[in-house]
Amino acid sequence: MKNILNYSYYPGCSLHASAQEYEASTRGLFKALKIGLHEVPDWFCCGATPAHNVDELLSLALCAKNLSLAENVAGDLAVACAACFSRLKTTQHRLIDNDAKRQQVEKAIDGPVPLGKKVKHLLEILARDYGLERLQSAVQKPLAGLKVACYYGCLLTRPPEVPELDDCEAPTIMEEVLKATGAEPVSWSHRMECCGANFTLSRPGVVLKLSGDILASAKAAGADCIMVACPLCHGNLDIRQGGIEQASGTRFDLPVFYITQLLALACGVSTERLGLESMIVSPMPLLREKSLL
Amino acid sequence: MSRIGVFVCHCGENISRTVDVERVAQAAARLPGVAYATDYKYMCSDPGQSLLKKAIAEHNLDGVVVAACSPRMHEKTFRKAAEATGLNPFVCEMANIREHCSWVHEDREEATAKAIDIVKLMAARVRRNRRLAAITVPVTKRALVIGGGIAGIQAALDIADAGHEVVLVEREPSIGGHMAQLSETFPTLDCSQCIMTPKMVDVANHPKITLHTYSEIEEVGGYIGNFQVTVRKKARSVDMAKCTGCGVCMAKCPQKKIPNAFDKDMGTRPAIYVPFPQAVPNTPVIDRENCTYFKSGKCGVCAKVCGPCAVDYTQQDELVTEQIGAIVVATGFDLYSIEPKPADSPIQGYGEFGYGTIPDVIDGMTFERLASASGPTGGKILRPSDGKEPKEVVFIQCVGSRAREKGISYCSKICCMYTAKHTMLYKHKVHDGQAYVFFMDARTPGKNYDEFWRRAIEEEEAVYIRGMVSRLYQKGDKVVVMGSDISVGIQVEIEADLVVLATAVQARKGADTLAQKLGISYDKYNFYSEAHAKLKPVECATAGIYLAGACQGPKDIPDTVSQASAAAAKVMTLFAKDQLEREPIVARVNERFCAACFACKKVCPYGAVEEKEIRDRQGNLIRVVASVNPGVCGGCGTCQATCPSKSVELDGYTDEQVMAMIEAL
Repeated sequence: MKNILNYSYYPGCSLHASAQEYEASTRGLFKALKIGLHEVPDWFCCGATPAHNVDELLSLALCAKNLSLAENVAGDLAVACAACFSRLKTTQHRLIDNDAKRQQVEKAIDGPVPLGKKVKHLLEILARDYGLERLQSAVQKPLAGLKVACYYGCLLTRPPEVPELDDCEAPTIMEEVLKATGAEPVSWSHRMECCGANFTLSRPGVVLKLSGDILASAKAAGADCIMVACPLCHGNLDIRQGGIEQASGTRFDLPVFYITQLLALACGVSTERLGLESMIVSPMPLLREKSLL
Repeated sequence: MSRIGVFVCHCGENISRTVDVERVAQAAARLPGVAYATDYKYMCSDPGQSLLKKAIAEHNLDGVVVAACSPRMHEKTFRKAAEATGLNPFVCEMANIREHCSWVHEDREEATAKAIDIVKLMAARVRRNRRLAAITVPVTKRALVIGGGIAGIQAALDIADAGHEVVLVEREPSIGGHMAQLSETFPTLDCSQCIMTPKMVDVANHPKITLHTYSEIEEVGGYIGNFQVTVRKKARSVDMAKCTGCGVCMAKCPQKKIPNAFDKDMGTRPAIYVPFPQAVPNTPVIDRENCTYFKSGKCGVCAKVCGPCAVDYTQQDELVTEQIGAIVVATGFDLYSIEPKPADSPIQGYGEFGYGTIPDVIDGMTFERLASASGPTGGKILRPSDGKEPKEVVFIQCVGSRAREKGISYCSKICCMYTAKHTMLYKHKVHDGQAYVFFMDARTPGKNYDEFWRRAIEEEEAVYIRGMVSRLYQKGDKVVVMGSDISVGIQVEIEADLVVLATAVQARKGADTLAQKLGISYDKYNFYSEAHAKLKPVECATAGIYLAGACQGPKDIPDTVSQASAAAAKVMTLFAKDQLEREPIVARVNERFCAACFACKKVCPYGAVEEKEIRDRQGNLIRVVASVNPGVCGGCGTCQATCPSKSVELDGYTDEQVMAMIEAL
């Protein structure tokens, strides 16, 4: 059957490694919605945090090369990972008004940088391109009764001039998308706070505190689970949750879903294709309790 | 002019460092029409001016070029010197070889050549200068003051005390402005009402002051000394002549649930109201949008209970035209709000502070009303959400100010001081309370200001935390403040009972519209622009209009009052003469050639071009031509450049002169 929309697709390293459930559920959801995702051939790492911490030119060149590869595939570039999204958009933003820097990067990648290629996060595609109404009508199994803490983290909306996804400090796009599934977003305080990000390896204590505050705040707001759009946030909130519980002596028991997992579940994608089994905090008891399995 | 003298100034070393001034004088001496040329170290000094006067007399000069600094600096000086010898002052011109040459070039050869060229140009122009006579216009010795806050009140009283008539126009039903809302004032902590209300009464009682409250400027025409200003007196629905201010109408009004804007919406007021008990005039206004009678035609209680029958539902807006000689603009400021702004606005709100949705996050003016004895809580510090006394209060400075990411880069100037004051007022009222202040740096330049700030910390125990706040959120009945303390490099979290934001001072909403009516300029934040940042701080570039107070930029009360008195002094200087003398650099229409297309009228930024009827002796209309009102003309020359038939010319810049200048090169 013909697709309604078509995108070039940049999965990013995490979606092929620690966030395979994000990849699987994204594929499953987009297939169900009849949105074509055409993976960019030969894509490679965007450079993530390490590259821009070490060498700006390296970080810009890595993203610029990926963007130029993406030019080979028609359609706006769909990105799932918040960090890849941020790096690709930052590269375009940094080069658009800086000819000297752009020429430097073009020399490094031996070709032009496609500054006009639109980079879109999945949320943007679902809420704006596909549309909330259409999304709502695609729901087969409403997630009624499920209270969800939508967690944005740092990079989806910041810095304000780069992602242009939503209001920088008070966004609503995740909640809007979630509401289309019939689930209930909770109002909570820490949806924009940092989870500790890469400190998870070098200074785990920082993550235990920051992610701990996020989990506690979601729990206090009455959430059953958390919804994220970033593999690193997911790692900190899900994989580290046991450690945080141990350190703080508080039991949270908050499954951490990717946006696409919950949406795919609501749109009737088979639960086997959602990667639910790879979540460290098992969502099974919650989903069974809410009769969503 | 055929005997021109050229005087080349060294300006100490300012010019002579880069320009060979002797060579310039030698070259000038050879120019056509130049009879004498010399150079001197400081032409503007007393010996320099004497040299000029002596040369004019000795060499019988009939024109002068002073090659020195910008005409903005010393044109008047040298014209005066030339005039003293009996020369027409307008045949003396400046050749700017400093700002336009020595200051901006490094190569001595090139700079000298350019300086010679500049002198050539001016000599060519002076050769064709006409002896002009200064223009005089009559002065109406009556001032308009727009805005009845402390700035407008001070300016009005000063001008009126000097014996001149003043028309004071205030948009609100009462004068008083922001200062009437304040509790106590820094750095002395004297009660704002106690020092303000007597001045308000003085205005009302002053025989020379005509007060139009609940009124706005509708239209401004004319020019310095001769403005015609139309004031819209909005329908008050109460006859000011009959009303005794007894207040029965307000007491009996059944509609009492209207948020009281004077108290920052914390209390309520009736539909017929005075903004606050000490209002001047003490005559109520019916708020027609909220009045039951005006909404449904039923009620009419206020009219029934009014003894002197002052309530008049049929009253209409009234337009009053005033003849005015000078205008003082004193329209004050608005406070920035953290609420969401339209997408196309250059200024943004604070999503990280909840966009104004957290009830116990208030602004500084709301705190003033809480602390004020005449406020909604009678001066008790009680927080809006549940009326409890807050024990931990966090004050956040620079909210909106110095926040380029929110669209405002300037400092609001008053917040450091009023926040220090707030911590003191709080401590005086809640002895066991603790005040915290998040600040970037404390800016306390003012007499006794730093001492005041130190007192807040050292004696009143306010805890100052150097750092910004990244987020505010409600947690139970507390507001959590997440910030940083950069002096020790740690994250800080405070669970506060009340948060007070020192929000930015902004230009009044609609300031741009008023500026357009007045023909004055304003900056990108809509603050009105002074003519010169240092030397003309209260004058507008538009003659006859002066600025006082925060409409020109953020200002505290002492500065506002100083500026208001300065503006008043400028008005008095203007009114000291019966006739105004002004430079005759104005456009003149050659009526014989004018084709009456009125292109000049369309482009004139000063509105100086009028249509003039030419009639024969019997009074029959022959034709209509353009005519320039010399009192209004700003001398910009736009008409000259526009006129298709070349029949309008600017004196001193005629086509002939400009062509001669080009040819001289």
